[in-house]
Amino acid sequence: MEEKNKKIITPFLKGERVDLCPTNVENAERYALWINNPEGRLYARNPLPSSIEEIKKKYGPPGEGMPEEISFEIYHKKDKKPIGLTGFLHINWLNRNANLFINIGEVEYWGRGLAEEVAKLVIQYGFEELNFHKIFTSIFTPNERSLRVAKKIGFVYECTLKEEIFVNGKFVDREKFALFKYDWLNK
Amino acid sequence: MIEEKEIAPFIEGKNISLVASNLKFIDLYAKWDNDPAFRHVSRNFIPISPEAFKKFFEKKQPNPPNEIFLNIWHKKDQKLIGYIAFNHIQWANAIAGIGLVIGEKEYWGKDVGTEAVALFLDYGFNELSFFKITGSMFHVNVGSWRVAEKVGMTREIVLKKQAYVRGEYVDEYQYSMFKDEWQQKRKQFKFLLSNDEVKISE
Repeated sequence: MEEKNKKIITPFLKGERVDLCPTNVENAERYALWINNPEGRLYARNPLPSSIEEIKKKYGPPGEGMPEEISFEIYHKKDKKPIGLTGFLHINWLNRNANLFINIGEVEYWGRGLAEEVAKLVIQYGFEELNFHKIFTSIFTPNERSLRVAKKIGFVYECTLKEEIFVNGKFVDREKFALFKYDWLNK
Repeated sequence: MIEEKEIAPFIEGKNISLVASNLKFIDLYAKWDNDPAFRHVSRNFIPISPEAFKKFFEKKQPNPPNEIFLNIWHKKDQKLIGYIAFNHIQWANAIAGIGLVIGEKEYWGKDVGTEAVALFLDYGFNELSFFKITGSMFHVNVGSWRVAEKVGMTREIVLKKQAYVRGEYVDEYQYSMFKDEWQQKRKQFKFLLSNDEVKISE
C-alpha cells in the first residue's frame, strides 16, 4: 500500500516490528474501519456502531485530570502504516489497575505474533511508567487466539463471569486474567 | 455559626474529626486565609474573597481529583477550626503534598494540627495507597514544621531564601514521609489504632 503523505511518525514506545504512537484524529477514518469491522468487533464485543465524529472525539485531545483511558496507534515499521489500536481502558488511578486492550484492526496482520509484542510494550509501560499494580484483561470464550497470547505473556486466570455478554446470538462467558507488577518484574 | 447537623465526618480522630466541605463554610475559609497572623507565614499576599472559595468548590473536580479537601471539626468545642488538604496529587507516582490550616488561632500549639496531619497521613498511605507524602512551609511558620516533625516527617530539603516574608527573605523547608516509615510511626498514635479496631470489626 502506498503511503500518500509523508507524515512524521512519533513513536512513544519502541518495539521490534511495531512502534506504539499517539493516536491521531487524522487517521479517524481508518480507526472507524477497525472499530466497526464485523469480525474484529465480534471479539472486541463492540455491538454498537461508532461514527467518525465519536471516534474523533474519543481520540482527540484529552480532557482535564487523569485519563480513564490511554490509547496508542500500532504502527507497523516495515510496512509503514498503522495497523491497529492498543492501550488501557478503565484506568483506576487510586487502586492503580487497568484493563489492557489490543485491537489489530488490519485483519491480514492477525496470526503473526504482533499482539504479543504489542502487549509486552503496553504492559511494560503500565508497570514501569504508570506504576500500575495490576493489569487485567478479559477474554470472551471462545477466543482461542487471545487466550494463547494472554497465557504466553504470563497472565494468570482469575475468574469466569458466566454468560456475561451476548455475542453472535448467544450469551458467552468472560474469563478474567490478571498480571501483577511484582510477577512481571521478576520475569 | 456552624451547627453539628451540618457536619459530615469522613475521618474520626480523638479530639477532632475531618469533615466534608459545605458551601456554608466559605466565610470561615476567607476569614482564615486573610488573617494576617496566618497569611504572612504562608505567603498569601493577595486578598481572597469567600466568592473565590465558592467558585473553587463549585468547580467540578476531575476523577480522580487533583486535590482532596477536608475540614477540621473540634468535637468537644463543636467548632470548625481549620482545613487540611492533599494538593498536587500525582496519581501515577502515588505522591501528594499536604496543606494544613489551623485558622482559629486559639488552637495553635494544642496538638490539633498534629492530630489532623496524623489522620491525614494514615488516610493517604492506607486508604489512597500513596507512596510518599510531602509538606512544604517557610521556616518562619514554626508551628507548621513542628507539626511535621511531631508526626515523624523528615526535612528533605531546604530551599535558601525562597520567599519574601515581612520584608526579608526566608528559607523554605520541604518535609517528606514514606509509606513504610509511617507504618512504624503510626503505632505511636493511639487514636489511629482504635480506628483499626473499627475497620476490623466491620
